[in-house]
Amino acid sequence: MIKILAIFLLLPSCIYSQSKSINFHSIQNKKLFADHLFCEGDYLRAVEEYEAIRKTIKNDTIDFKILLCYSELGLYQQAEQNVSLSSNSDLSSEFNKLFYINQFKKDQYSFYSFYELRDYQFTIKKFSTLNIFHKLTSMSYLYTDLNSRTKEEIVKPFDVKDRSTISSFYDWKLDPPYKSPALAGILSAIIPGSGKMYVGEWGDGITALLVTGLLAFLAYDNFRANHDTRAWIFTGLGAFFYGGNIYGSVVSAQIFNARINFEFKDGLNLFLEQKNYFMPEYDFCN
Amino acid sequence: MIKNNLKILFLIIFISTSAFCQLEDLKWKKADLSYEIPNNFRQRDYSFEFNNAGDLVKKSIAYTYWFFISDVDGDNCPFRPSCSAFLMQSVEETNIAQGMLMFFDRFTRDMNIYKGHNHYPRVKTGHYFDPPDNYTLDQETIKYIPSTHIVKE
Repeated sequence: MIKILAIFLLLPSCIYSQSKSINFHSIQNKKLFADHLFCEGDYLRAVEEYEAIRKTIKNDTIDFKILLCYSELGLYQQAEQNVSLSSNSDLSSEFNKLFYINQFKKDQYSFYSFYELRDYQFTIKKFSTLNIFHKLTSMSYLYTDLNSRTKEEIVKPFDVKDRSTISSFYDWKLDPPYKSPALAGILSAIIPGSGKMYVGEWGDGITALLVTGLLAFLAYDNFRANHDTRAWIFTGLGAFFYGGNIYGSVVSAQIFNARINFEFKDGLNLFLEQKNYFMPEYDFCN
Repeated sequence: MIKNNLKILFLIIFISTSAFCQLEDLKWKKADLSYEIPNNFRQRDYSFEFNNAGDLVKKSIAYTYWFFISDVDGDNCPFRPSCSAFLMQSVEETNIAQGMLMFFDRFTRDMNIYKGHNHYPRVKTGHYFDPPDNYTLDQETIKYIPSTHIVKE
């Protein structure tokens, strides 16, 4: 019985042992492994394998995948070095697209300077690459400053279905729904709490009105009853709440405006992520 | 010979599993944990050591607030930093006058009768995050954080 058990345990290990006839380190197998890692989204290990393969063979698809890996990892410096290798490749326009997308991701707020300071648009021959370049430039203007660009100029590179979204971003950028801090302060100076209500903080506004009103009434009532000490305490407290409310209304408007800026950029980020930075879909994994 | 060796092998396997098995006295036991919130808000440092007049005024106001409001009310401020800590930080970041205005605004927001605090982000403890940096009138220092975020203090 024990012998049979021992045979059952030992036999499978012999049958399923790694055969020496398979060369796991051949270029084909390394590539298969790298492709598997790439498709699994393990870009860090995939790029290591691809770099090792590139030392042996020259292949522009592998160069492109290396560029894609570095882009996904956010290692834009290394990605740029790989673009220079692509000058004679059939995929050079694809390399260019990724190069612009990386530039945009790296420093999205000044990407438009490519357009303004250099003549990149004239060196790009392929329409799809030029289109991505213009889309990113338009997005860059929306992120930073419109630099007196018209709505038509900003919207033009986009597809018809995206134009309404970009158009609404443009309108928001041109005329953001800010609240005036000065007006909020003045309103609260006239009627305590009204500045907060103007900013949309109704609860804080009503509380400020009630507290300041109550303290003012207590001060007035105590002065009338000749309770001067109590009256002055309530006057002092009321004055602080009144001043604090004017101050708070100004700050609330500033915070409201910060929220508008945040939501605008958040909207742009979301749009870009949904569009995957206008990157074409590369079908390497099916 | 093989039969003897196999017997020894099985003996070693069985002895090791018996020797390192879970002992009765080492089983999981109930831990004596206390889930009581530490009641340390009364342990205040009321020392009057100060370097300048501003420090004296700041401490006087904070101690008065602690004595008449914080210690009576308990640890009930919904914000982080708490109102008294907000006052101290505001005065440190700006000046006495501006710090006081910031504090009275905060106090009004604390008293909000509708408890409308839902537009503030929260910290892990569940308190609303409301730092004085956002209230210095300097647009650059305002950091808007959406209320859906949990802030690490």
